[in-house]
Amino acid sequence: MDADRLRAVVVRAYRVMAYVTGTMLIILCFVGIPLQVFAGNDAVAKIVGTAHGFLYIVYLVVAFTMTRMVRIRTASLTTVIVLAAGTIPVLTFVVERWVTRRYINPALAADQAGTARAAVSHSQ
Amino acid sequence: MLFTPRWLSWHLFAVAAFAGMMWLGDWQFRRAVAGNTLSWAYTFEWPVFAVFGAVFWVKTVRDELRPARPVERAKVVLPAGAGAGEGASAADDTPTPGADADADEGENDVALAEYNAYLAMLNKEVKGHGQWHGLR
Repeated sequence: MDADRLRAVVVRAYRVMAYVTGTMLIILCFVGIPLQVFAGNDAVAKIVGTAHGFLYIVYLVVAFTMTRMVRIRTASLTTVIVLAAGTIPVLTFVVERWVTRRYINPALAADQAGTARAAVSHSQ
Repeated sequence: MLFTPRWLSWHLFAVAAFAGMMWLGDWQFRRAVAGNTLSWAYTFEWPVFAVFGAVFWVKTVRDELRPARPVERAKVVLPAGAGAGEGASAADDTPTPGADADADEGENDVALAEYNAYLAMLNKEVKGHGQWHGLR
């Protein structure tokens, strides 16, 4: 698999994990914790909380790989925000949109420009 | 480079975070042993987070030490015979005395300059994509 395709796959995996982790976190914070605190029923919080914990590990790995593939500096606030977004309700969705517009789309566009250029030089 | 106050505080934070997450793992282990079943999950989660933090720290340090990767550039392969064609056209362009030819050349220069400026703009646009231009 070449680098461009690998990047597209990692970007897709990041999106999936961002949405899954974000959804889990919203259920945990807006359903599980209120049930636990106000109704004394901690079943939802236990199950969803544990699920989110393990999903967040996967999210961390995928999101970190993605930041490196779209050339976001490792030692940057952007990377920290992307990784931390998985622990803050709703932020995952906002950050996913922002990173897509600001970093992922330009990186994918550069790939396509490179492919187009290669095609032109081959056809000549 | 790695010993500026900014980096020193980052190293310190990395060590503290690693130790803190390992301690949390140990705390969850003690709770798990005491009978809290849910803590078994966290007993394994915290060390994983700690290791991830360590990997993250190593990557930042390695990025800092390694010079910026050169921008990947698609190799432009000139088709065979392009050089010869250029030579021939250059020979054709040899200025012939006369007002007509001079005027022609002036027009060509403007068109060429415009075209070069357009190419430079396109190049700049493509080069800017996918590069770091954000918060540091």
